[in-house]
Amino acid sequence: MDTPVHRGVSRRRRRFAAAVRGVTERLRRRVAAARRLRDRPERLVLPALAAASASLLLVVFYYPVATVFVDAVTVDGEVSLAPLVDVVSDPFYVGWLAEPGVPGLGKLSGLGRFGFTAWQAALSTAASVALGLPGAWALARFEFRGRRTLRSLTILPFILPSMLVVVGFYAAFGADGTLNTLLGAVGLPTVDLLPSLSAVVVAHAFYNAPLVTRVVTAAYERVDAGAVETARALGASRRRAFLDVVVPQLLPAVLVGATLTFVFTFASFPIVLALGGTRLATVEVLLFSAIRQLEYGEAAALAVLETGLSLLLTAAYLRYERQSQTERSAVRPLPRRELVPSAWRERATWTVRRLGSRAAVVGYGLIVICVFVGPLASVVYESLVIDGRLTTTAYEFLLTRQQTGASFQVKPWPAVRNSVAFGVATLAVALPAGVAVSVATTGEGRWSRLVDLLSVAPFAVSGIVVGLGLLRGLVFGAVVFGYRVTVTGPVAITAAHAVGAYPFVVRNVAPALGELDDRLVESARSLGASRARALVDIELPLIWPGVLAGAAFAFAVSVGEFDATVVLAEGGGTYTMPVAVERYVGRRLGPATAMGTVLLFVTAVSFVVLDRVGGGGVGGFGSGGERGSTGSGGRGSTGRGERSGDPDGNPGRGDQS
Amino acid sequence: MTDAAGVTLDGVRVVYGETTALADVSVRVEPGEFFTLVGPSGCGKTTTLRVLGGFESATAGDVRIDGQDVSGVPPEDRGVGVVFQHYALFPHMTVAENVGYGLRFSEPPGGGTADERVSELLSLVGLPEAGERDPTTLSGGQRQRVALARALAPGPRLLLLDEPLSALDAQLRERLRRTVRRIQRELGITTVYVTHDQAEALAVSDRLAVVSDGRIEQVGTPREVYRRPATRFVAGFVGDNNVFEGTVSAVGDGVDDHAGRDDRLSPAGEGSTADDERLATVRVGGAELTVAADCRRGASVTFCVRPDALTPGADRNRLDVTVTETEFLGETSRVRGEWRGQSITLRTTEPPAVGETVSVGFGPDAVHVVDVTD
Repeated sequence: MDTPVHRGVSRRRRRFAAAVRGVTERLRRRVAAARRLRDRPERLVLPALAAASASLLLVVFYYPVATVFVDAVTVDGEVSLAPLVDVVSDPFYVGWLAEPGVPGLGKLSGLGRFGFTAWQAALSTAASVALGLPGAWALARFEFRGRRTLRSLTILPFILPSMLVVVGFYAAFGADGTLNTLLGAVGLPTVDLLPSLSAVVVAHAFYNAPLVTRVVTAAYERVDAGAVETARALGASRRRAFLDVVVPQLLPAVLVGATLTFVFTFASFPIVLALGGTRLATVEVLLFSAIRQLEYGEAAALAVLETGLSLLLTAAYLRYERQSQTERSAVRPLPRRELVPSAWRERATWTVRRLGSRAAVVGYGLIVICVFVGPLASVVYESLVIDGRLTTTAYEFLLTRQQTGASFQVKPWPAVRNSVAFGVATLAVALPAGVAVSVATTGEGRWSRLVDLLSVAPFAVSGIVVGLGLLRGLVFGAVVFGYRVTVTGPVAITAAHAVGAYPFVVRNVAPALGELDDRLVESARSLGASRARALVDIELPLIWPGVLAGAAFAFAVSVGEFDATVVLAEGGGTYTMPVAVERYVGRRLGPATAMGTVLLFVTAVSFVVLDRVGGGGVGGFGSGGERGSTGSGGRGSTGRGERSGDPDGNPGRGDQS
Repeated sequence: MTDAAGVTLDGVRVVYGETTALADVSVRVEPGEFFTLVGPSGCGKTTTLRVLGGFESATAGDVRIDGQDVSGVPPEDRGVGVVFQHYALFPHMTVAENVGYGLRFSEPPGGGTADERVSELLSLVGLPEAGERDPTTLSGGQRQRVALARALAPGPRLLLLDEPLSALDAQLRERLRRTVRRIQRELGITTVYVTHDQAEALAVSDRLAVVSDGRIEQVGTPREVYRRPATRFVAGFVGDNNVFEGTVSAVGDGVDDHAGRDDRLSPAGEGSTADDERLATVRVGGAELTVAADCRRGASVTFCVRPDALTPGADRNRLDVTVTETEFLGETSRVRGEWRGQSITLRTTEPPAVGETVSVGFGPDAVHVVDVTD
């Protein structure tokens, strides 16, 4: 056996045997793994849930949106850039850019619809920042009764249906609105404020200033008092210390707030539609009318251009978010001054500076009451008071119209019923999907990053575009592996709502999961619990406030969703409350405000749930920041919750506005 | 193929992207042994433990527990108990629920009921009355004992302790480590203990592995590792040590290499070196030191001398040390000083004043040679 030939043979044999051993070993491991799965079927729960969520996202988001993109580059089945070229070379859309050499910057009309859309977005952004910044100063630097609640209220833009803003502005500033009632009562001439560009801009500011306030307050609370004190000790004046230490730390947050506001207001839909009128149509409104007129090619081209722009800005935002991820919270935040210090009973302590800053806060408070409380209070007021009398006529109308309305008319009761049904169905889909995705994103490895990215993508796509995609891709039917797949309107609406809502679940659940000590799950697993079991036994009981907050968000987003719903409910009986409000709002204020009050009630309940439960501590949008000022433990979570929360504005706002 | 009990790591490598957490770790832990992984933070000792627990998977290499290849086996199927530094007690469960959690997934060992097993373990860790308490109301030491009871309840075949005492104060730490050791002996459970504290590692272990930079530097009993550090790193890491590096200028106690003179007749006439050992003169920082080392002339030598071997008044290898700092430790004081630009650590019962120069020396055979390069 020891001849060279034999040796060569046996070497080959050995190598072969080793290879066989390797294969059998791998096989053995596979079999062992399969046996483990068979013994404990619960191991399949999480992967199955994650796979289901992924397929859902693929079928009701990526596929429909892809069909829109395909529509934009095909004409009669042939690849063609004609739809895109038509739009970008049409002076109607791009203004002077379509005719090179003709500088038309001087005139607004020369901007084209894209230019106008950007212009109104820029105005709205400036107004939102101007209105929001003093709020951050007041919330971060002063202590007063109700401050916590006010800080919590800055989440409202995320859950407030944009249609409610529209009703609010009609109720407050419309021809028969509260303002004109008041003017009439004191004998002044009434004013006609709607529709106008300023109404759109103010409504956008109403809607987005809280977002700016929220982001900047969080940054303000991260400023370390030690840094300011060091600057003062080194000789900087109060003003210099503010400019050199505080401002640089606030600036990025202001930019984030402004970027998000720009993205939201660029694609804003119902506010522009209802408050702007046809003359002030933005790209989103034109996109909607293109869909209504069955001009799908043009609609797709607009959708692609708008989505591209939105994606760019969102990418910039995400890039910033990732960079600031390492940013630590302040060891010792700047102290808050009492708004009305008890020591002030002595006159000697009244200085110009102190009185001035207090007067500024009070003045700002008055503006807040006019701009924010006015419209919402008007909704309730106008629904109850008609011609100066307290009456339930508007609510009765909702019921009588129910009985007498013609079949083509929008009936109130189905709208309420549909809204609740879609809300519940959305919860049933979005909650498990959101939890599964959260587990996947907080897991280790490169997958988590990818999952994060893919689940963030829906943020950047407006509800109209998703609705259009669902309409073209699934409601009209698609051929998959030779089978024609169609979904009905209600299913498509639920799907659209779920896609818009589940990121809110993720953004509430994932940070809470991330803050749990990994060792808890590892301990449970080493004690014999599967991953799914550890989730149910350990993680969910510990983070249930986050789950509940996510659920409240998801429900509120679904109830308030307008954009995708109005596209998909076209001509059918699946309209929801916001859609019904839109039908009423231009004609009769009573029914619109009555239904607006119902919407307001739903929003308020969601807010209370968020504030009382979700805001209690987990890194959601609630009053998370609040804990930071009292305990060092909460600060990290605050920062994270705050940052991770912001992109959520996007889907909600994209869908709502 | 290993079919023996215990734990075997063979060529284990863990790489995350660009960083190598474990370069190549091969180690065998005997059944019933208390085995410690000790090293500075970030050296890979915790990664090794996490590979054993199933929380990380090895990029390459073979991991066996009681002969079973555990690669791809999830943590819940490994039969491994884990205790973490920060206890990781489930805050929404009582102490008894925590300890009993593992018994939801397996029958209690020994045939009793789950409740019996829980009280048995709570007694074992000295907390028989704590069952109904909320773990957040317990002290750190109590929490850690609950965590130990919880890890042991399902009767694991391997116990992993990840810096379990590091969050506790010094006195409690010593008491608790004796408790851990007593329980481990009683149960005879194979245990892998991770700590950055070399004194703790020396005190509790049957054997220990010194880990640095993702590699094992030395494995041995505490005595072996302390007395005969295998590498320069171990010499510096385990206990106080004075490490010298120099070049051999003469072999055979100052006499020429080729003279072949009997080593036993050293001119100083002091002590006798063993037959098989030769003396070498090593030039360190301009001075000549005589050490017992088997090496050639011109070789680079790294050797170490424990502080307690540096005695005042010894006339061999005299070092004039300028004192820079003294620390009072109780029975003795640790004195740090400088000798020819090199930092020297001494132990003494009567510490000199800072700035003073003390004369110490050491015998050639008080030296442990770590490394010789020809």
